[in-house]
Amino acid sequence: MREQPLKEVTQLIHAIKMGLVEGSYSITNKTLDIFKYIIMSKSWDSADALMQIVRAQSRILQAALPQETVTSNIARRILKLTREEFELLQAKVQHFADDSQASLSLHKLVTQTSESCVSVDYSVPQQGLREALLDHLQEVETELETSSENISVQAEEHIHSSEIILTLGHSRSVENFLKRAIKKRQFLTIIVAECAPACRGHNLAATLAQEKNVEIIVIPDASIFAMMSRINKVIIGTHSVLANGGLRAACGANTVALAAKHYSVPVIVLAPMYKLSPLHLCEQDAFNMVGCAEDVIAYDSMPARDAKVYSPMFDYVAPELVTLFISNAGGHAPSYVYRLLSELYHPDDLEL
Amino acid sequence: MQKSSSNPQQNASADKTREQVMAEREAKKQAKLAKKQKSVTPATTIITEVEQTTITQKLTTTTTTTTKEQSELPLRSINVADTKTASQSSAQNSTDSVNPTAPGSEKTREQIKAEREAKKAAKQAAKSAKSNNVDAATKQLNNLQVATKIEPAPAAAAIATGAAATADHEKKKPALTKAERRAIQEAQRAAKAQGQTKKTTVTPGSVKSAAGNSVKATPNVPATTHKEHKHDRNDKEESPAKSPSKGGTVKADRECKVKLFNHLVSADKDASLFINDPNVHPSMARLGVQYAQRTIVGSNARCIAFLHALRQVVQDFETPAKKEFGRSLDVAVKHHVDHLNKCRPLAVSVYNAYKQFKNQLTQLPTDTPETELKELLGHFIDTYIENQIGKAAQAISSSMQEKITDGDVLLTFACSSLIQFICEEAKRRKVTFRVIVVDSRPFCEGQEMLRRLHACGIPCTYVLINAISYVMPEATKVMLGAHALLANGYVMARTGTAQVALVANSHNVPVLVCCETHKFSERFQTDAIVYNELCDPNLLVMDGKCSLNNWQSKSRLTPLNLSYDITPPELVSAVVTEVAILPCTSVPVILRIKPDIGY
Repeated sequence: MREQPLKEVTQLIHAIKMGLVEGSYSITNKTLDIFKYIIMSKSWDSADALMQIVRAQSRILQAALPQETVTSNIARRILKLTREEFELLQAKVQHFADDSQASLSLHKLVTQTSESCVSVDYSVPQQGLREALLDHLQEVETELETSSENISVQAEEHIHSSEIILTLGHSRSVENFLKRAIKKRQFLTIIVAECAPACRGHNLAATLAQEKNVEIIVIPDASIFAMMSRINKVIIGTHSVLANGGLRAACGANTVALAAKHYSVPVIVLAPMYKLSPLHLCEQDAFNMVGCAEDVIAYDSMPARDAKVYSPMFDYVAPELVTLFISNAGGHAPSYVYRLLSELYHPDDLEL
Repeated sequence: MQKSSSNPQQNASADKTREQVMAEREAKKQAKLAKKQKSVTPATTIITEVEQTTITQKLTTTTTTTTKEQSELPLRSINVADTKTASQSSAQNSTDSVNPTAPGSEKTREQIKAEREAKKAAKQAAKSAKSNNVDAATKQLNNLQVATKIEPAPAAAAIATGAAATADHEKKKPALTKAERRAIQEAQRAAKAQGQTKKTTVTPGSVKSAAGNSVKATPNVPATTHKEHKHDRNDKEESPAKSPSKGGTVKADRECKVKLFNHLVSADKDASLFINDPNVHPSMARLGVQYAQRTIVGSNARCIAFLHALRQVVQDFETPAKKEFGRSLDVAVKHHVDHLNKCRPLAVSVYNAYKQFKNQLTQLPTDTPETELKELLGHFIDTYIENQIGKAAQAISSSMQEKITDGDVLLTFACSSLIQFICEEAKRRKVTFRVIVVDSRPFCEGQEMLRRLHACGIPCTYVLINAISYVMPEATKVMLGAHALLANGYVMARTGTAQVALVANSHNVPVLVCCETHKFSERFQTDAIVYNELCDPNLLVMDGKCSLNNWQSKSRLTPLNLSYDITPPELVSAVVTEVAILPCTSVPVILRIKPDIGY
């Protein structure tokens, strides 16, 4: 059965591909809007039917944008929400309050067996599900909106005065985090690796330089190791967090993390919850994406005709190189990511 | 042919040495060839800076192979030499490297290749020059205007130098006058830089008239003026760093704003440095400018260029009255080295060569005539180049050949003449391998490496340094060049090398550092910050729309452009030297058993 994409979904895919919608945050926001629209306006009579639609549309999104894992993440969130709300309503009806997943008592944990997890029949029509879902979606939206803010308020807990911080490229979370840190702490030195060939680090440096009481140093990517011996903390953003606690981050992040490991510098990764994806690193080709090589070497230069030139977008950073994740819900060790994932998504939804 | 040309000179100098004759002959050949080539293909006659640098860098290869083939095919090579060495020698002349063995010697394959490559580069440079023609032309006009005003000054300076004694009659020798002219040009350019800071605007009318003047001013060499202009233009092309750095002189005081690097002085780009100092030999003055503008980069190339310039200084040196030759020369050379150090901090290789030379000076016999002593020193310089750089490269290459096998994927960083030599040798042995060239902004030296390897037909992959994790799984070996090996086993090399070694280590790929022993240093260093070289931070600013544009106006923003970094020994599997393949930590052993290298 092939599902047809909704008009909104096609529009979003087009916008992202054309670069009109950029950054994980806005993509997540737009995807959430689409799912909200589906819940509101689509005719579905049971939770099962709704989940079918959500699954189908998110599969389409995933196929069209294999790198943007946030769309699937938000779909999983909605599926989980649907399940929860449905079960809650069912429980209310049947007065089986202790059967709801929300109250896992110690007694239940001990006595629970695999058979006791009776599969719930989601195809039963349920009154009031739509309203309950929309209510809950509002919460998710608020969480999304405040995620960046929630991360940056933690800046004071991690940065002391006159610290030397290194960051790579330009991440919005990192920008807000550092701005907050600059306001709260004095005499910071922030070293920005430019992240060639796009050199988005320049933008970050220019933005941060507008603040007071801070020294911004822009270095080429090659000097990361040379500078690392003087750095107190590495703070980077990431594209997504993998299930094992590893990162799919901007190209060059692996070098930064390795250099930090070499000098035992803590690596702090800012990752809002919606970037957590239940994926594992498969082979490099599926994981990565190569960009336009024109910026790396001009097409019309003589050796470029025969040489292979790559401009990959992402780097895999192993979980053992990451010291700490800071999400909107607080700090987490990389080894704890699996647990966060199981709380965030329903196990049946890991495979969409 | 030789007599007719040397008539005026015979009157002047009774004891004409062999070298002079050779140099003269070579110069004539070059002049002839220049004429011939001009009529056939004007593009190739342009001796650009590119050509110069490639030739100097190529010298590593050429010097070794000449000695090898000298014994093997003397007959064939001499025949070839007559027909073909001329153009090669012209290139060599332009670098002021009148190698006494070169003119009579042979034309090896490498030389032809080098030449061809240089020509290609020249053509390309000419092509790119066309696009920027207008801009360059106006700049040139500005240049010439100042030139006419300054004209008498360098001439006076030239007389004041040691070279001046022979300068009068040598003016007819194209090779030498050319060198002088270049020095003068350099001085003019520097003067112009100063002039620009004083004068804010230049009216186009006056520029034109001034340009006319300057052409008139040098009517005795009409054939070469054209070439000179091209030179000039190409200089402009080659050093984009120059124009921003001129603007940078305004804020020179805040150049080392990064607190961590306050102790490091970035190279003084002040124009007054390049104004003719009467005590600095033209060849050294020129070398200083070439160092500062980074037209000569790479420690081998810098070392060779230095030694050639040094030979010129020795040749033209005149002992002051009632002074000892050795001692006074020592003082003079020290002055020159100080000058070079001001232009750009000395490379370890240059410093070692200088120390060796100084050592040689102290051991000079006292009872021999000056000409013989000069010959002795010239010989010393030649053997130094041949042994320490040429033969060492060959030895390293031959031991590296055992390490390169079919199907290998070699990963290298930036540009190293030694690595290039090794790859070419492997290609010649018909090993099927490919090379991944890793590069980094802002210098993008890897593009030059890529060009050279591509010219030999080696399949290449090219990535920037942050994509290194992407290509590292393919690599079977990492080969790195080095600027210097420190006594504690740390490798000092172009910034980024340590990162490559680090990532290679994490992928369990062996890292081989190739380094001749003349680059070994007695210094101890544990990080890249205590001693380093700061390059022009403006190079980090990308052309076009870049948020770093006019960073000078933002007080809190500083781009930082480090030259070198330090690779700890635990990241290096082995160092390949001409003595042996060693662990990094054995550097002090080499320093001990080869005490003539550094103390």
